[in-house]
Amino acid sequence: MHSAPNPTLVEATVSFLTQHSPFDGMEAAALQFLGESLQLAYYPQDSFLLTPDMGPPPFFFIVQRGKVLSREDGDIASHNLTLSAGECFPIGASSGSRATVCHYSALEDTFCYRLPAHLFAQLLTLSPVFNRFCASYLSTLLGQSRRDMQLQFSQRALEQQSLATPLRDLLKRAPVTASPEHSIEQVLAIMGEHNVGSVVMVDSHGQPQGIFTQSDLLKRVVLPKVDTRLPISQVMSTRPHTISRHASAYDAALALATHGVRHALVVDENQVLQGVVSERDLFAMQRIGLRQIRYAVETAADMTALHQVGRDLRQLTTNMLAQGVGAEQITQFVSALNDSITARIIELNLQQHDLYGIDWVWLAFGSEGREEQTFSTDQDNGLLYLCPEAYDKDQVQLRLLDFAADVNADLDRYGFPLCKGNIMASNPALCLTLEEWQERFRRWIASPDPKALLNAAIFFDLRPLYGKRHLANQLQKQLFAYSRPNSLFQRMLAANALSVAPPLGLLRDFVTEDHHGEGGWLDLKTCGSRLFVDVARVLALCYGMASSNTAQRLEQAAAHMDTPREEVRGLIDAFQFIQMLRLRHQHLEQELGRQGDNLIQPDKLNPLDRRILKEALRQARRLQQRLKLKYQL
Amino acid sequence: MTWPRWLHWLQRTPPAALDDLQRQRLQHWQALPDTDWQQNARHTRLLVVDVEASGLNLRRDMLISIGSVALQDGGIDPRQAFEVVLRQEQVSSSDNILIHGISGAQQREGMPPAEALLQFLEYSGKAPLVAYHAFFDQHMIATAMRRHLGLHYQPRWLDLAWLLPSLFASRQAHVVALDDWLTRFGIRNHRRHNAIADCLATAQLLQMALHRAEERGITTLKALAATERLRRHNNPV
Repeated sequence: MHSAPNPTLVEATVSFLTQHSPFDGMEAAALQFLGESLQLAYYPQDSFLLTPDMGPPPFFFIVQRGKVLSREDGDIASHNLTLSAGECFPIGASSGSRATVCHYSALEDTFCYRLPAHLFAQLLTLSPVFNRFCASYLSTLLGQSRRDMQLQFSQRALEQQSLATPLRDLLKRAPVTASPEHSIEQVLAIMGEHNVGSVVMVDSHGQPQGIFTQSDLLKRVVLPKVDTRLPISQVMSTRPHTISRHASAYDAALALATHGVRHALVVDENQVLQGVVSERDLFAMQRIGLRQIRYAVETAADMTALHQVGRDLRQLTTNMLAQGVGAEQITQFVSALNDSITARIIELNLQQHDLYGIDWVWLAFGSEGREEQTFSTDQDNGLLYLCPEAYDKDQVQLRLLDFAADVNADLDRYGFPLCKGNIMASNPALCLTLEEWQERFRRWIASPDPKALLNAAIFFDLRPLYGKRHLANQLQKQLFAYSRPNSLFQRMLAANALSVAPPLGLLRDFVTEDHHGEGGWLDLKTCGSRLFVDVARVLALCYGMASSNTAQRLEQAAAHMDTPREEVRGLIDAFQFIQMLRLRHQHLEQELGRQGDNLIQPDKLNPLDRRILKEALRQARRLQQRLKLKYQL
Repeated sequence: MTWPRWLHWLQRTPPAALDDLQRQRLQHWQALPDTDWQQNARHTRLLVVDVEASGLNLRRDMLISIGSVALQDGGIDPRQAFEVVLRQEQVSSSDNILIHGISGAQQREGMPPAEALLQFLEYSGKAPLVAYHAFFDQHMIATAMRRHLGLHYQPRWLDLAWLLPSLFASRQAHVVALDDWLTRFGIRNHRRHNAIADCLATAQLLQMALHRAEERGITTLKALAATERLRRHNNPV
């Protein structure tokens, strides 16, 4: 017999729940719903509440009294967890309607509230508070995995401070400052007095206005014979690079490397100067300094020198992996340094090629375009140019093709293998004028056949790498002018993005493939990161988002689609986790002297990573469902 | 406390007139099959029952409310509970009201007794009933059934007051109060003397008792009843 819930029983349940987080902050309607739906059940000591072989959990549990032990397969004691009154489980398995990874047993005589499985989803929609609670659960898991990975790499790590240290902990002394109105003489006196290599000019609020360093002295004062009675503001570097004191040492290192500066000014929330971090401070943490590598790249006289730099770069990324630097940062870092290597190769080749009078830009496509390169990425590039009026277009193209062929060959020698699909600037079909590129993009979007959709997946993730960057921006603007109003194209691209489903099995955890003569393999690229990348691209082309980076695209799209922040964070974490697995895998493969691929065997992952990979793939499914809904597919 | 059978007949007041529909409903209940006491107790729907009365005098005092919580498939579900206040012609004393908290107004506005009892029958079916000190609940309900429905109500009860000490070693030879058991197992009763809250606490004791009984090989309702009888026999009040 089912009748209206008894108010006294509901009240008893609610009064219990309100004593425990997250229920204490829960919406009244959600609490009432729980009070009306929860059943109270008893589990004597040592009995099992939930095990993996039960399949999707029939109930979501909240411990009312007693203790529940959650134990993972594989018996790693460190992953055991005791749950007591007010704690709930299994969050992951219930939200995914999949079998749990853990065995849950009663440590002592225990009473648990049980929410029938079909009501769990209802609770998630009813209660944003509970939804957030569940979402943050995933990110906690990710943090735990990161710590585990640090352990795994720690033997190889050098005796270094972690790059994850917040900058505020690295600031050892108050910054030496002056006012922009001070004369050069006065500032030099201050520098001498404090025996420092740099002085920051701050305004009356303490906000940095400029910086003057010892090396500026020679170039800007002594050699040009500037009168030292002039105010310092005339010779200082204005708009110095600032960085939040909460940022990590890694962030600072990346900023220094990408902007090619030697000092970063650390500021608080009000932009007030807190201190100066120099690359020396940061290099003290790294055996191989970032700047050193960058400098080595920028000055490498020939390919042999560049080659040495490449090896150092690999070493540095190993250290970063070991220190638990996230995949997002590592891939960005790899991209930043690859960019400067590519730029140097281009510069070296410009010495032999005369391109004077031609406006051109070197474009990166695909993963390089998205700044998501892993250790083994082949070239995806192209050239865009403007043909000067007096010139013969064919002649101009030939000159550029000659140049591009040399660059492509050098990149190959450096370690970016030639593209098998010939997506390279030396391909006449990819060395085009702005109008030709635009026409090509227009055609692909106007008639989105399978070939065009394939091209979209490569070429619409574009980024200028060297040369006249504004040309690339013009091309991108035109791209959005075509893609945004064309809902048919978007729909086709969306359908394409949904053609690969996340490899999650109904019975087994993962759907795997046969490779190397045995089963159980999973391709982290085609069945993993690409799921996110493809959806992010559709959204970028729909909303006209300038960023080519997947994480940034997802974040920007969230604003258009009203996706809760937590959900986006979960998506991005999931994507980065898969990228991290790829990096780690490729790194280990390369240490064994093999060309890194993207194939892993989920069974060989540790239980925690396997579990997170599953969560991550479920996030991919959620993302795909959002797209499905948006385009009614 | 057993009345000679004929005394019941003397006491009996003719049942208030039931309408046709109510008579049909009563007949429908009477026709329900009895619960098979050979079946496994854990898989049976068990109803924990608690009543509130105008006092503790079995002869004079009136049944004021019935509360019941079901234990089914190992869980206590708030949608499987029953609670009713029977309309009283004479409101119970204020001391009594302080105990169960059912106010004079609530008593006067309660459900007509015949209807309330019919609804209890429909809720409970022929399911086994469980109480702590079942004798009192048993008697109050049976008396009301006879008076208002003319029904000779003889469901089978399980009494936790006897079962618990038999299953869980108890230092006291005599039967202790429900609260002692609740304290011992750390079961919180958030509203003592509210029929439903008392049932909820008692139902938790029942859950523990059933598991313990099973460990001892006592699985059927019949075996439970036998255990209870044995304890009662060996420890006469």
